[in-house]
Amino acid sequence: MVLLLALALGVALGLLTDIAIPAAVLTYVGVAVLAAFDSVLGGIRASLEHTFDDKVFAFGFLTNTLLAALIVFIGDRIGVRELYLAAVVAFGIRLFDNLGIVRRLLFQRKGWE
Amino acid sequence: MGSPAPRARQTLTHLREESIRAIVASERAVERRFNEARLVASLAVAMLLVGFLLVAQWRGNASFSATLDNQSDQNLAILIEDLTTQNSALRNDVMRLEVRILDAERAGKDRGEVLNDAAKELAGIRAIAGLDPVSGPGVAVALSDPERVLLPQDFVALINELRAGGAEAIGINGVRVVASSGISGTDGVMRVGDTSLSANYELLAIGDAANLEQSLALPGGLKATLSTFPGVTVVIDQREAIALPAAGTS
Repeated sequence: MVLLLALALGVALGLLTDIAIPAAVLTYVGVAVLAAFDSVLGGIRASLEHTFDDKVFAFGFLTNTLLAALIVFIGDRIGVRELYLAAVVAFGIRLFDNLGIVRRLLFQRKGWE
Repeated sequence: MGSPAPRARQTLTHLREESIRAIVASERAVERRFNEARLVASLAVAMLLVGFLLVAQWRGNASFSATLDNQSDQNLAILIEDLTTQNSALRNDVMRLEVRILDAERAGKDRGEVLNDAAKELAGIRAIAGLDPVSGPGVAVALSDPERVLLPQDFVALINELRAGGAEAIGINGVRVVASSGISGTDGVMRVGDTSLSANYELLAIGDAANLEQSLALPGGLKATLSTFPGVTVVIDQREAIALPAAGTS
């Protein structure tokens, strides 16, 4: 609940501040957002499994986003523009994995399974 | 007095253990709460960031795909089509409105003004046709060609360039050049109409002096081109007053 509220707050903040990502770094930030979302889902999963550690989470969040952007950047530099696809696929798969586990854990907790 | 003492001690020990257990339990609870708060807080901060970036990205992407570079060819064709239609509609509007302005002006003017305008127009046309001698500011182009390498087309180019630069009247070596003037040359001797010219040519052009000079002297322009021919020198100067005779007189 608090998390959804935070997401809404972030969206509102974005709408209010009227910031648009410049076209030059659009792909980097896009992949970084994906990585960040994956990290958050991973954090929720860890909290449901009672293995959550905020230091690990914060570090993972930062490194995931930065690494994702870095991979795209390097791909651009060395002429493998499609490298961003690798990041998108990797994070996409992880995202759905985490989402599935979170869903299962939540169902277990509610006793629906 | 001997028997109740150990029992009391037992009770006390029991109480102490109980309270210790309670303290530990409450500490654990506090710790769990604290951990939970940290968990939710860090996740919330991360969510906030994700939300913010999401919106910024969304907006950036929207403005990115709005630029022409990222439109498909079909879209661009449609855009161009639309603009062309709009343009022709606007052009029609402009024409219609111009006609109305002309009508209004004609209606608003009295006869004297109409006559005045007509006289002015006539003077302009007479200047272009070379019917009257004219004078005014302009440029003088001194062109010397001791080796006689210039061809008639060089003069035609010069005259065209001067006309394009806004010259109202042009003369070569005192001969007025008009629309019907012909320039010919055999063995390097130039003729304008029937008049032969000496090798030191002087072109005079009446009009906006600065514009005229610029039209010849701009980089890569005629002055630069002609100066590369052997022996040819081109000198342009602006003059306050230039007088040209009527065409057909020299």
